[in-house]
Amino acid sequence: MEEFKFIGKSVKRLDEREKVTGAAKYVDDIEFGPNLLYAEIIESPHPHALIKSIDTSEAEKMEGVVKVVTGKDFPYKFGLYMKDRYIFAQDRVRFIGEQVAAVIARDPRTAQKAAKLVKVEYEPLQPVFDPIEALKEDAVVIHPDLKNYPHVPWFFPKGGTNITHRLKLRKGNAEKGFKDADFILEDTYRVPRYAHCCLETHIAVGLLDYSGRLTVWASTQSPYTQRNLFADALAPLGFSHKDIRVIAPFVGGGFGGKAGVTMEIVAAALATTVKGHPVKVMWRRDQEFYNTYMRQQVVTKIKVGVKKDGTITAFEMANYWDAGPYAEYGANVVNASGLSATGPYRIPNVSIDSYCIYTNLPAAGPYRGFGYSEMSFSVESHMTRIANAIGMDQAEFRRKNGIKEGDPVAYGAPMNPNGLLEAIDKVADEIEWGKKEESKDPNKAIGKGLSIFWKAPAMPPNVTTSAFIKFNEDGSLNILVSGMELGQGYLTVMAQVAAEILTVPIEKIRVELPDTDRNPYHWQTVASHVTWASGNAVKRAALEMRDKIFEVIHAAYHYDKDSLYLEDEKVKCKLHPSFELPLKDFVINGIQTEDGTYRGEAIVGSGAFMPEFTSAKQDPETSQGGHPNVHYTVGAGAVKIEVDKQTGKIRILKAVEAVDAGKAINPRNVEHQIIGGLLQGLATVLYEDMRFDENGKILNPNFTDYKIPTFLDIPDEVVPIIVEVPQPDGPFGARGIAEHTMIPAAPIIANAVEDAIGVRVKTMPITAEKIAMAIANNKKEVNDFLMIMKK
Amino acid sequence: MAIVHEFEYFRPEKIEDVIKLLGEYKSKARLLAGGTDLVVRIKDELEFPEAVINIKEVEELRKLEFIEGKLHIGALVTFTDLIDSDIVREQFPFFWESVKTIASVGVRNRATLAGNICSAVPSLDSGPALLTYEADIVVMGKEGERVISALDWFLGPRKNALKESELVCEIIFSLPERKHGGSYVKLGRYKGEDLAQVGLGILALEGNEYRLAFCAVGPIPKRAKKLEALLNGKPLTDSLIEEAKKLIPEEISPITDVRATKEYRLHVAKVMLERGIKAAVERIDGNGPAYGEKLI
Amino acid sequence: MKKISFILNGEKRNAYVEPNDLLVDVLREKLGMHSIKYACGRGDCGACTILLNGKGVRSCIILAIEVDGQEILTLEGLSENKLTSLQESFIDHSSFQCGFCAPGMIMSATELLNKNPNPTEEEVKEGLSGNLCRCTGYTPIIEAVLDVEKKDVDKK
Ligand code: FES
Ligand code: FES
Repeated sequence: MEEFKFIGKSVKRLDEREKVTGAAKYVDDIEFGPNLLYAEIIESPHPHALIKSIDTSEAEKMEGVVKVVTGKDFPYKFGLYMKDRYIFAQDRVRFIGEQVAAVIARDPRTAQKAAKLVKVEYEPLQPVFDPIEALKEDAVVIHPDLKNYPHVPWFFPKGGTNITHRLKLRKGNAEKGFKDADFILEDTYRVPRYAHCCLETHIAVGLLDYSGRLTVWASTQSPYTQRNLFADALAPLGFSHKDIRVIAPFVGGGFGGKAGVTMEIVAAALATTVKGHPVKVMWRRDQEFYNTYMRQQVVTKIKVGVKKDGTITAFEMANYWDAGPYAEYGANVVNASGLSATGPYRIPNVSIDSYCIYTNLPAAGPYRGFGYSEMSFSVESHMTRIANAIGMDQAEFRRKNGIKEGDPVAYGAPMNPNGLLEAIDKVADEIEWGKKEESKDPNKAIGKGLSIFWKAPAMPPNVTTSAFIKFNEDGSLNILVSGMELGQGYLTVMAQVAAEILTVPIEKIRVELPDTDRNPYHWQTVASHVTWASGNAVKRAALEMRDKIFEVIHAAYHYDKDSLYLEDEKVKCKLHPSFELPLKDFVINGIQTEDGTYRGEAIVGSGAFMPEFTSAKQDPETSQGGHPNVHYTVGAGAVKIEVDKQTGKIRILKAVEAVDAGKAINPRNVEHQIIGGLLQGLATVLYEDMRFDENGKILNPNFTDYKIPTFLDIPDEVVPIIVEVPQPDGPFGARGIAEHTMIPAAPIIANAVEDAIGVRVKTMPITAEKIAMAIANNKKEVNDFLMIMKK
Repeated sequence: MAIVHEFEYFRPEKIEDVIKLLGEYKSKARLLAGGTDLVVRIKDELEFPEAVINIKEVEELRKLEFIEGKLHIGALVTFTDLIDSDIVREQFPFFWESVKTIASVGVRNRATLAGNICSAVPSLDSGPALLTYEADIVVMGKEGERVISALDWFLGPRKNALKESELVCEIIFSLPERKHGGSYVKLGRYKGEDLAQVGLGILALEGNEYRLAFCAVGPIPKRAKKLEALLNGKPLTDSLIEEAKKLIPEEISPITDVRATKEYRLHVAKVMLERGIKAAVERIDGNGPAYGEKLI
Repeated sequence: MKKISFILNGEKRNAYVEPNDLLVDVLREKLGMHSIKYACGRGDCGACTILLNGKGVRSCIILAIEVDGQEILTLEGLSENKLTSLQESFIDHSSFQCGFCAPGMIMSATELLNKNPNPTEEEVKEGLSGNLCRCTGYTPIIEAVLDVEKKDVDKK
């Protein structure tokens, strides 16, 4: 095995010192001077209505108000994969909280007061909140103009309906597969909406300077994508990409919620109306819940057939996703998770239909896991039930059907090398799978749950990334990339990659946060792909620098380039053991030769990366023929819980999760992702419980009633396990793992609950209440779904 | 988000001055002690006071003393003060157990018991202890001092027996004369801080006397009179507990909201009663689970 | 506008405030204490925690005018000179991810260790449970707090 000096080492995080001293600047920590203006949004009180009139005159009269802006000022659509969103509502509002107008004022209080004076007259329309209802023939159509919306070629919207995309996948012959089956299980599962709850709410500050350049400081995962969408949406105002600059300082959590563009476009647009003045738009916590993205709700119907020996013969599934009224990003969640909805199983006959459906709940979109968590809840619950029904051990069932390298996935492409079986074995070992345990307390029961997972980055096939690296006079490095440090440890990992090639220690490396004027292109930090993609780009940039270094040495000393190597910040030569030259001696000012002239240059490197085997050109009727995904990361999770049969409360005695990182560049960071991601997932299944009233208004947009875990809610023990089956095209074999860590959480709990008390809960969350009431009422199955509360 | 509403601010140092200000602004005045409730309500535009009177400089309201079997808790005593007090933990462990379930350190460092009971929210965790210890609330107004029993304090959601221009000076807990044990059982959605979905405080006195009070299952924290009538005078047996559990639906009237359904609250209230009363009785003789240990 | 004076990180400072100004805004906007974070505005998350007279409090639900004559410590104050052992321990453990909860968390943990220099794991959880973190799953924070070298936690 190759010996690494920096790769595979748990070096300390590069950004930790800034973060623990308060030096780390987030957008709201930047001073914008006395010219700063504040925006307050006028929001729709209706889930679905026509805007009859907007009267801004009273607000405009107020001292301190600089401008009131409405949809008329910006009749432009935007969207990442489909243009179905507006900067401000035009003639129609589609959810409660949608932005209708904005007041820009000198101070926040004036903005808040003036916003109350803007009068909007509405004509309410029939709303629809349930995705199945929204599919009905007579359902109200939320986007009458859908057929004219521009979108990527792999979306198939159906004009005149609420279907914004339908993914259709057919492999083999499902009908025949079910005929071959000895046992078939069919059921419906339901997953409600969830909120990311980044601790930092969305914030963006826009400034159109007097020369006409537009700068936006944003808390974002996606500086380049934002620049692209701003340039596109605001093109009618005469902007080109070079006129727009997006600066992304530290971000207080992303989890998909700060991917693409949501409220940032409001800041960009407002700035164009008040030249010379920065405008701050900052979401309150309640706005953070209803006007960014939520995770989508989904109803999943699933049918799986198996042979007596456990071999899966057929898999059929229909998913009805509630995307809210804007699906510009959410439709791709539906697409990507639909393509992979079987989970990591080898299944010859597959039929999957995934519908992305408009509703009048708030807009929904990407959230850590990108649809896979939702699919995992239904598939992994279902697989456990099937294994139990045919009397086969669940772990064995998964080992038997688990996908292996080279097996065709549902859309036909071959599976990449992976450590799925190893993950199952390690997790099963650690949780002592198969060993029945009894609680000492007669009121309590112990149960264990297991599940496997996979996830591929969901991205357009031609996503690209790039990196610059430059030496400083003392041999230290600045790495310029545009991936985002979301907390996952990206900066540290990029430094480790460069350090490994250039032998410069981590302490001498800075990795700069994105600024689209200076740092090179990177699509966006989503899909858990930055370690892999950006890592490759940084590696290539570092290799280019190493080549240049050898070139300089060759020019100055005429040593054969192939005999040169780097060690401990020095160039050395295999043929001349006594030769060594510290990098700092020449990487900026070169090497003086005997005649007094110099050889060399300031050493800089650039690198870029784009996968060249991917394609989204598949048959729309079967999804066969393309290669939409670069690779899958796999893993397994398990849990041991104790259920209080009277109160329904669950105590997690032990949680285990193994993930195949390919190569863990920083093992501790990987472990920290597992610990953090797993808890985020456990919260979704145990107590995060979003509620709406019958009019589609969210009832708990705060931490008082949307409960995210505290210190007291962590499992008694968490065991993170790293599996390493290298990814051939990954930097040092690495692939991404961050989102994945959340995916197994829901089904392991569902499966453990059934193991403990014999109750199968088919709707999330699996609250104490559902469990206790099922036991009290002697129910073996729970289908209650409480997201929309009836009066 | 900034507070938009404007108000006058006062910081009197003497009770008389507080009373004078209250007399001047009447219903338009709000007293500020910890502010953990008031400031949020002003921010959320649920309250529009003309005057905010910060009473934190009134030194005499700061006392926490145990004299002749009585615990005097001044209006400025915070939950942290109570939790950290050896007297409270040793002499009134069931009250201490209730207080420990309230919020978390950063709020407890500011929030006061007096402010808490003035808020008179239905889910008031301190309510059941106050009601079962039959605490006295000493208030002061233009007409001088009066003492209100905790039993008469709660009038409705966010309504208490305080008259306009009165303030709470102290809350007095008397140590029961007989040996006793207690328990506070709280239903929350998870272990972290949460508002009670059901709260049940039980004080069991030697000689088979039981005092029970609920919160979060009706408009106000309330003594469970029917349950007490059933239980009093009887030694605790499993069959008595079963009988008591059957009475619960007659005793409480929970509602369904985002936190829990009515059915679940009713169901868990029974579990809480069973575990809480057993613990309270065991604790009379120093047995049973340690105070502070979660029973559900 | 009323003038208030208080000790901020060891130095006497003045500010002109309205009665309805929130402490978090005055400290951040007028006095540049940007370490303090604002995340919920209603006392639910602890991101805005500072030490007021040595006690952890939520600056988003305190009126600025209330702190006249009091003493405030923010993360800037802890970081001025050598970092505390607690801060160093967080660095050693790579505890934080996005870092947005860190300032409030560190102030709460500082109070905890001042009060109880040798906390048990349970005491750490209980003491910090009002500070929400969405990224870390808390374990790396607990480990760092338990691992603090007990030297200078009561600095200031
Ligand atoms: S911002 Fe103050 S507690 Fe959340
Ligand atoms: S590190 Fe992100 S919230 Fe704690």
